[in-house]
Amino acid sequence: MLQRIRRAPPRYWLVGVVVLFFIGFPTVISSFLASEWAQALILAIAIMGLNILVGYSGQLSLGHGAFMALGAYTSAILAHRFKMDLVATIPIAGLLTGMVGFVFGIPALRLSALYLALATFALAVVTPSLIKRPAELTGGVQGIILTQPDPPAFAQSAYGFLTGTAMTSDQWIYYICLFCALILLWFAWNLVRHRPGRAMRAIRDGEVAAAASGVNIAGYKTLAFGISAFYAGIAGALFALAAGFVSPDTFPVSLSIQLLVGAVVGGLASIPGPLLGAVFAYFLPIESSQWVPNQSWIPDQIASTVKNAGPAVTYGAILILIMIFAPNGIVGLLHRGYVALNRRLRGAADRETGQMPPNPQTV
Amino acid sequence: MALLELEEVRAGYGPTSVLHGISLEVPDGGVVSLLGANGAGKTTTLRAITGGVRWTGDIRFRGRSLRRMATEEIVRRGIAHVPEGRGICTELTVDENLRLGSHLRRDAPEVKKDYDRVFEYFPVLKQRRRLSASTLSGGEQQMLALARAFLMRPTLMLLDEPSLGLAPIIVRSIFEIIRSINETSQVAVLLVEQNARIALDLSMTAYVLEVGRVAVHGAAAELRSDDSVRRSYLGY
Amino acid sequence: MQEFLQQLVGGLAIGGIFASLALALVLIYNAMGLVNFAQGEMAMLATFVAYALINRGMSYWIALPVTLVLAFGGGIVIQRVVIRPVEKAPILTLVIITLGLATLLNGLAGFIFGYVPRSFPSAFSAQTIDLLGVFISYRDLGVIGVSGLVLLAVYLLLQHTTVGLTLRAAAHHPEASRLLGVQVSWMLALGWGLAAAVGAVSGIMVAPILLLEPNMMQSIIIYAFAAAVLGGIESPIGAVVGGLIVGVTVNLAGAYLPFVGGDLQLAVGLAIIIVVLIIRPNGLFGRAAARRV
Repeated sequence: MLQRIRRAPPRYWLVGVVVLFFIGFPTVISSFLASEWAQALILAIAIMGLNILVGYSGQLSLGHGAFMALGAYTSAILAHRFKMDLVATIPIAGLLTGMVGFVFGIPALRLSALYLALATFALAVVTPSLIKRPAELTGGVQGIILTQPDPPAFAQSAYGFLTGTAMTSDQWIYYICLFCALILLWFAWNLVRHRPGRAMRAIRDGEVAAAASGVNIAGYKTLAFGISAFYAGIAGALFALAAGFVSPDTFPVSLSIQLLVGAVVGGLASIPGPLLGAVFAYFLPIESSQWVPNQSWIPDQIASTVKNAGPAVTYGAILILIMIFAPNGIVGLLHRGYVALNRRLRGAADRETGQMPPNPQTV
Repeated sequence: MALLELEEVRAGYGPTSVLHGISLEVPDGGVVSLLGANGAGKTTTLRAITGGVRWTGDIRFRGRSLRRMATEEIVRRGIAHVPEGRGICTELTVDENLRLGSHLRRDAPEVKKDYDRVFEYFPVLKQRRRLSASTLSGGEQQMLALARAFLMRPTLMLLDEPSLGLAPIIVRSIFEIIRSINETSQVAVLLVEQNARIALDLSMTAYVLEVGRVAVHGAAAELRSDDSVRRSYLGY
Repeated sequence: MQEFLQQLVGGLAIGGIFASLALALVLIYNAMGLVNFAQGEMAMLATFVAYALINRGMSYWIALPVTLVLAFGGGIVIQRVVIRPVEKAPILTLVIITLGLATLLNGLAGFIFGYVPRSFPSAFSAQTIDLLGVFISYRDLGVIGVSGLVLLAVYLLLQHTTVGLTLRAAAHHPEASRLLGVQVSWMLALGWGLAAAVGAVSGIMVAPILLLEPNMMQSIIIYAFAAAVLGGIESPIGAVVGGLIVGVTVNLAGAYLPFVGGDLQLAVGLAIIIVVLIIRPNGLFGRAAARRV
């Protein structure tokens, strides 16, 4: 066992360090910050799902906010109307949303990429008014207020043992989100490394060729839709849990755009991409809207417009710039940097041994 | 100085190179054919001239190099290129296709005369003016492409396999018209053909390409009478 | 019956607005096979420009053409700066870029003009006239008239001018057009400029009804999508007919279907999109093109 760990490639070490970091993180930051990071993790889950759909199977959905809304409301309604335990509703919300996504994927098969984008975008725009309508069920414009769970005894005592302080409800929710994120990350990683992932990529890169090699196109495309919606549903349920309420206006079309920004910025068709993208997409508007009003030299009026308009402007500009200059996102940039650095280092070493560095074009 | 000069032109698609140094000349008002088997680089040569592929070496038209010039600009200098597959705009009507040919010209009375001549050459186009170009048969599309190129009033026409897929009788009439355009309007022609016999009948000089190089060139009459050339390269 | 006819005319008026925006979408779709998700925001920004001009004392009928010219230039600039670098990129990239553009323009408008809804003047009075017992407002008639004029102008430009001819040729046959001396890349820019100007008309027509603010076009673009899809996304005539049908349908559904009311009208738009895409993806006027794979 020890041997295996020692021989593990650096990649695994990196994963281990990141996981430990996320586990230890809430013990050193405030309870409020923990809840913000929980939100970022939730966004990461939704983006992972979107990434499976867009990055791996090549179907563009601009309406993933709608699937999140479905997950959130499923969870909220089960907890509020049927008095279920809020945490226990999370997998139910995920499965239900996943099933809806799977069914949604069937007519989507007939649509070209462009029409699919158009239809899902329309869905995202209409979602808030669709939610408002069945007011007895969804609480209408007010939405539903939920009671957030207290940490259970075992978590309380473990946390108290490690840090000597009491665990807050926000910290407990953070760990629930982290737990879900890790499991779903592991699942996504396995998915893309094995047969379904290969099949989806083959479809993305050319349906005719994929069909000729015996890939079940309809099956995998709807499967991708279902899995992707499952992720969004889980993220939505966690969102209800972490925010403590759901309302139609928590799921505007800009949420779908935010998910897309996260997926694109992190890097489409990569596993760590959604994590980086989520951190970026979640904290950028928060940080920018906090930073600007705190600068005394900026007049109040300008500061408040920047606070309102800033995220949209930066999101838009970043989407455009990334698509033009770095279509593979942060992960693509890092990878390029790593390859360049590696070649540099190896090149230097090779000069000493008198060997030619590898031909750059073949790397 | 020849109208068009190619000097050691190399070109290709991505990593595969197709032309390995082609040199040829088209004199003012002359007809030159470019012969050779499939994949010899005939079409690529024409595409290089109008900037459709990247190339090295030099291509000069009326003494000016066409290096780094956009297709539109080359065409505006007086080269009409009827590409492989004829380049008919099937979304447009026959008349609109013709108007595209003359859309850059400002000499309205001359354009009108040229239209009359086009309809004299190809009466069928006049009948079908209002119809969509997609309704034309292969031969009619070839006529339309030729007519459109003629309406551009070029000094040089590049014709890519005008005989492809057409019945022999139509091929003969189309080649008659090419000859007539060349003689009466002083338009030089660079003709790519698989059908070597009919191409040699029309042209003064000919170049035979073999895997991206000029294998033989000379006066058309000489090539036609040289049995060994005929057997090894022209296949008739 | 009388009320029905009034709703019908109201629907035609709003449908004319949808038709203008849908026509803008069709123009860009034809030029490069792309649905421009930023079309609505471009129109919104142009409307703000018109607002600023009128606010500075310019008369409405001068501000209108000035705005259209500015929108035309803006469309060209957008194509040159944002779209041209990725002209040959996959369609997903282009879609994401237009979405980014939409978000950016929305934020810019909020940044410059703020989010407080403003009332926008209408050139036509809200008074009604009695036409055979049906009361129709001058505003509705005016909107129908202006939309009709714009559509006619676009039709004449595309079908009866040399520029229109080269525009169509460049859109459908870029390679062949280049060999005929058509400057294809500039034609695409021209298409964007034209679309921006046509879209701007829809913004200026709808602003007096909805109040002007950065999110004004968010619902209109959905109706325009519905109109374009219904008409067949590559057909200019389809966009017009589709726009009118969608306008009338939405208006009548809002008035006569109790469960739709005012707040689910947008859902009617979505329903039209989905039903058309599933039952007849080529729309009313689209040709059954071979599916691109």
